[in-house]
Amino acid sequence: MSDQPLVQMVKISKSFGTVQALKDVDFDVRRQEVMGLVGDNGAGKSTLIKILTGVYPPDSGEIYFEGKKVKVSSPKDARDLGIETVYQDLALIPLMSISRNFFLGREPVKQFGPVRLLDKRKMDETVKEVLAEIGIRVRSPDEEVAILSGGERQSVAIGRAVYFGAKLLILDEPTSALSIRETHKVLDYILEAKGRGLSIVFITHNIYHVYSVADRFTILEHGSKVAEFSKGEVSAEEIIEIIRSGHQVATDNNGGKS
Amino acid sequence: MGKVTNQAGRGNTPPRLSLERFLTWLRRHPEFGAFAGTVVVFIGFSITATRFLTPDSFAGILTVAAELGIVAAGITFLMISGEFDLSVGSVLGVAAMIFALTVKAGWPVLGSWIVALLASASIGLINGLIVTKTGIPSFITTLGAMMFWRGILLAVTKGFPIQFFPKTMPPMFFALNGRFVGQFRTSALWFLGIVLLINLILVRTRYGNAVYATGGNRDAARVLGVTTDRVKLINFVISAVLAGLAGCIQFARFLSIDPTRGVGLELEAIAAAVIGGTLLTGGAGNLVGTLFGVLLVGMVRSGLVQSGAPAYWYQAFVGLIVVVAVIVNTRLRRWALG
Repeated sequence: MSDQPLVQMVKISKSFGTVQALKDVDFDVRRQEVMGLVGDNGAGKSTLIKILTGVYPPDSGEIYFEGKKVKVSSPKDARDLGIETVYQDLALIPLMSISRNFFLGREPVKQFGPVRLLDKRKMDETVKEVLAEIGIRVRSPDEEVAILSGGERQSVAIGRAVYFGAKLLILDEPTSALSIRETHKVLDYILEAKGRGLSIVFITHNIYHVYSVADRFTILEHGSKVAEFSKGEVSAEEIIEIIRSGHQVATDNNGGKS
Repeated sequence: MGKVTNQAGRGNTPPRLSLERFLTWLRRHPEFGAFAGTVVVFIGFSITATRFLTPDSFAGILTVAAELGIVAAGITFLMISGEFDLSVGSVLGVAAMIFALTVKAGWPVLGSWIVALLASASIGLINGLIVTKTGIPSFITTLGAMMFWRGILLAVTKGFPIQFFPKTMPPMFFALNGRFVGQFRTSALWFLGIVLLINLILVRTRYGNAVYATGGNRDAARVLGVTTDRVKLINFVISAVLAGLAGCIQFARFLSIDPTRGVGLELEAIAAAVIGGTLLTGGAGNLVGTLFGVLLVGMVRSGLVQSGAPAYWYQAFVGLIVVVAVIVNTRLRRWALG
């Protein structure tokens, strides 16, 4: 295949005790596309993503990134590959300053003899630029994240992923706690990230939010993949109906897809 | 402390109402409350206690504050990463006892000191491993450790104090806690050095960032690639080593150690950290605040006695300060965040 996917997860299974969270799930994301990962509570969306980002090890199955088989055994591994995750509640740490958050775990340092100290100036200047790009106005990058709104926090986290050259950006319910206006800002910013060459996995309950920006959709139900569509093949209402009824009512489209 | 220059010197922001700027600054500097409290109490005792404004009196305050402060510095560091250590008082006792027994047995003092610190580090490591591997809250784990090590201490010494009266004072004792000018002791220099070092780590290093993140939101820190368990483990060890160091320093001052040494110290240290703006829930705080916190506690202790108040009032006064400090800090924070 000429158009090799950025990520391919093959036959992923995972159990927690006696509960089978995922059964032989195949999942792939192409380059520079927005993939909507949807399904009801407990469908296995989060588990699938946590396997991809090294939070849980899979019981079985394989992961390929840029065509190479990879083992992702920690969030740091995922980050090193270029997989960046923004969790709804865990995007930023409220008590810390914006610039400390932005560079957490990847702080620029200056060498002073045997010690390495944070390059505060570089941190603050970078954050100022990124905030200006996103359109967030704060007095200083030293301000605590606590003063930012939910949408601003999501945007800063997305900006961080773009800045650090992520190839795949995973957004876990990025809009579920946001006002309408903020939701649109974040959705715009997702498209901008895609425009810069990133692939994006958008996990959500809200089909209308994801429908406006996604290129393809993967629908999970009780730990299995029940359908995969390109945007042209299905309407938002049909996706909701599939999730609501728990199985695919329309024709099976899987054959020609993967 | 560079406060005033910080406040005025942020040149790249447009000029705004000075009150608003002050609030912004205050929000980022919770240690200011402890500083203000220290000034108020200082002025108060200068009036009520006649001999308060003398070098000997300052030296007395520093002697108390430094020993408490070395313990509180470690506690602050650990609390910022989101954990407690209630066992520091017992660790102080155990370290001082090991130091005393080995020195008395004729070991080289430097060797004894290192062994005492290594023993402290081991206790901290055990605390940290239990907390990170089993997930038991550090409050419970270190409460158990506090009782366990205190019990061992009492059992081994059968409750008797150990004294050490050398013919000539070993130089190491001078280094630990000798008088270098008048009544001023080297413990104050240890304390100051430790405060500066830990604050540098917190404010200007990657590790410091990881410490704040671990205490601020452990799950978020973890998914952002911070190895939070490792951070906690290291901080448990540092907290215990500093408690052990304080024990050795205290022994070098008293030249005797009884097995109840350090009882209640853990709460005083936590109180000093909290007065200085460190959050009980972790994620915020700094060593400058703790510095003023222990100075405040030290001043209250000697100021009350010098003012002629019975020493019993000391605890009541410190208790009052803790609660007032936390109320003021929380209110200020909420007010400033709008």
